[in-house]
Amino acid sequence: MASFESHRSCAYALLAGFVLLAFGPSLAHAQQPASGFAVERLYQSAPGAGWFVMDDLDISGRLGGAVSLTSGYARNPLVITGPDGKQKLAVVSEEAFVDFGAAITHDRFRGYIDFPVPLLLSGTSGTLGQYQFTAPSVSFGSNPDTVSDPRIGFDLRLLGEPGGLLRLGAGAQLIFPSGSRADYVTDDKYRAMFRFLAAGAAGAFRYAGQLGVHVRTLNDAPVPGSPDGSEFLYGISGGRRFAGPNGWAVVAGPEIFGETAFRAFFSGETGTEALLTGRFEHTGTGRNLRIKLGVGHALVQNFGAAQWRIVFGVEMFGQK
Amino acid sequence: MRLWSWLAAVVQHMNCREPCATMSNGYRCGVPERSPGQANLVRVLNIARSTLRVVMGFLLASSFASAQNGAPAPRPSDEFSFMQLLADKGLHDIENESWNAYGQFTYISSWKPSFSAPYTNLNGSINSLLPTAERSFTGTATLYLGVRLWKGAEGYLVPELISEQPFSQLRGLGGAIQNFELQKGGTSVPQIYHSRIFVKQTVGLGGKSLVEESGPLQLGTHYDSRRLVFVAGNFSILDFFDTNAFDVDPRDGFLGLGFLTYGAYDFASDARGYSYGGVGEFFWDDWAVRVGRITPPKDPNQLPVDFRLFKYYGDQIELEHKHKIREQEGMVRALAFRNRENMGRFSDAIAAFEADAKENATTCTGFNYGSQNAGAPDLCWARKPNVKKGIGVFAEQYIGHDLGVFGRAMYADGQTEVYAYTSDDRSATVGLLAKGSSWSRPKDVAGIGGNLGWISSIHAKYLGMGGVDGFVGDGAITAAAEKSLDLFYSAHFRGVYWLTGDYQHITNPGFNAARGPVNVFTVRIHGQF
Repeated sequence: MASFESHRSCAYALLAGFVLLAFGPSLAHAQQPASGFAVERLYQSAPGAGWFVMDDLDISGRLGGAVSLTSGYARNPLVITGPDGKQKLAVVSEEAFVDFGAAITHDRFRGYIDFPVPLLLSGTSGTLGQYQFTAPSVSFGSNPDTVSDPRIGFDLRLLGEPGGLLRLGAGAQLIFPSGSRADYVTDDKYRAMFRFLAAGAAGAFRYAGQLGVHVRTLNDAPVPGSPDGSEFLYGISGGRRFAGPNGWAVVAGPEIFGETAFRAFFSGETGTEALLTGRFEHTGTGRNLRIKLGVGHALVQNFGAAQWRIVFGVEMFGQK
Repeated sequence: MRLWSWLAAVVQHMNCREPCATMSNGYRCGVPERSPGQANLVRVLNIARSTLRVVMGFLLASSFASAQNGAPAPRPSDEFSFMQLLADKGLHDIENESWNAYGQFTYISSWKPSFSAPYTNLNGSINSLLPTAERSFTGTATLYLGVRLWKGAEGYLVPELISEQPFSQLRGLGGAIQNFELQKGGTSVPQIYHSRIFVKQTVGLGGKSLVEESGPLQLGTHYDSRRLVFVAGNFSILDFFDTNAFDVDPRDGFLGLGFLTYGAYDFASDARGYSYGGVGEFFWDDWAVRVGRITPPKDPNQLPVDFRLFKYYGDQIELEHKHKIREQEGMVRALAFRNRENMGRFSDAIAAFEADAKENATTCTGFNYGSQNAGAPDLCWARKPNVKKGIGVFAEQYIGHDLGVFGRAMYADGQTEVYAYTSDDRSATVGLLAKGSSWSRPKDVAGIGGNLGWISSIHAKYLGMGGVDGFVGDGAITAAAEKSLDLFYSAHFRGVYWLTGDYQHITNPGFNAARGPVNVFTVRIHGQF
């Protein structure tokens, strides 16, 4: 009897071993690697556009132009929540960039180019559910010349005059894939944005807003925290202008912006950030200068909306 | 000496060109009217002279070629450009620019027929030029953006796109690599990167006011002939050192890498040829001296950069003098470099292997090139902070209208591995370059040049034992100078394009007389706006 029990135990052990051998590899195989994507959601406005994300649509005059340098640091721009709703993984916990832009303006038209350069991306690798996430490891030394997803854009002031109560406009951008998905700096696919823009001034008050579409062909659903196709863009900003001597002024106020995937419009897959901005600027004819600073926090932290971020920018602009 | 006498005679002959060109109006180059027989003789001589002009044009073109560098040339005002277009419409002050934007694209396609080689990648070595027929190409597109930041300060940003396919994965050639656009680690999938982001500050010290024409990496402005210039950022060291006074854009000139600068000038740079650092220049009329310290790559011939500029660096100093000989402009330069990098000495690699054969090319786990030759030493075992030094001289001289000759030579110590540029330890280049004004195509460029590269005896011993460096190593060697002859003609058409035909004959590829020679035929299309 004891011998029978012993044999049965052995049989169970062998069976368990067989099951493990048979299904082990498939279980391991089921842990799918998650690919990276363009995690940055601070979709900057054109050089010379005033705000960080919105556009003041102050385009006018003869041939003019602008150059800009923007740099920023974001903390926890990609924190993914596991299927249990509790486990969290900061796949991208730090991100820093510098961004160079140049624009040409004429009358009510603006064309521009923009070159983002990643300085730092790092995070924590790990497994969430059946997905294996590998954190990026980008430093300036390892990627000394990377340009991630440069873009060209075109903006048009449709209605209203510079300095007026209401200006309406439209803009389009084409984003070229560049860089490595593993570095979380690109989708490795072309992207485009189309935006309807509004801006105006009422006394010392300045405001701007946008609604748009981010045409994004990358759809990595159901990988958590990953792009889910094209997105709806929204944003609004407002601030007060404090005039100083000799044409100098300070404009301070918040910008709120975000995006949500059309496929998950009502499911909460939305990222929204608020950025408190201040800019010290000299505007008028000839050469002008604008220095910008923004500090922000995620209102809804999803795929790329940073837990907090700081942004700094310098713009030189003017007209002939 | 005989060459110089011959060139002088040719130039003297060609100086008679203008009067002869008006022969139909009765001028005879200062000689009296001739009989019909003499007229026939003159006609024959004219034909011969015209032929000679074209041939000389080709010959002299090569000299321009050797003088080219990594920096683009200024854009003459009679060439089409976006900036000139704005200036013509009164929308841009091209002589005193606050900004500019230029662009270029270049596609180069090379074909190499099969060649004779008794062995290839012997015993698992990996750096042979394959003896089979191969095709190579590069496609580049570049945007040059410049802006005036404040008084005396200019900022430049140059994004670039490249797609490429080298011969034999860019292995098997020293300074004779047939296309200077090729980058280490490049792929056929287009890659976008920033090649330059730098700030230049000029401090005027007086002297004459010099006009700087608008062009890529140059805002149209006026400089003092005596001035200090400081540059900081990301650039190619060839933007400032060993630049070309003939104003021939490298993408219109010679194609061979050995013509870009000294083949033995192993300037610190990443795999694409760019560096971070600073340059200081002091100009005093016809004299200039410049110094620079730049970043090397972390590992030899790779892209990641080591920013520890006080530990690892490339230092260079250059002295330059411009002169005129019989009203023809010329220039002489001397350049010295000293690199401190984490590189291997050939003698150390050999000693390590001879002391313990287990320390061979297949067993090192540090950075290595992947050789499978278990019977060969490897530099991987010998890498430590080492110093490489070299000194070179360069001269270029116009010898006629749009005709120039040049020569450059460099001697490097040859004790350590190639870290960034070519495997040459010593190099010499001569050439002639001509613009086509002599045959009524002033925008055309033609050239012929010769490039030689040598390796040191210890380098040859290392390669002979089966070792490899960043580019060469057949597994065995019959050491000899690598020689290349480069002949090209660039035809300008439709205002913004150049179509180039180029032939290169490479002898002793990879410094190995047992292999080759190699013929390379190239076509290049280049446009700029």
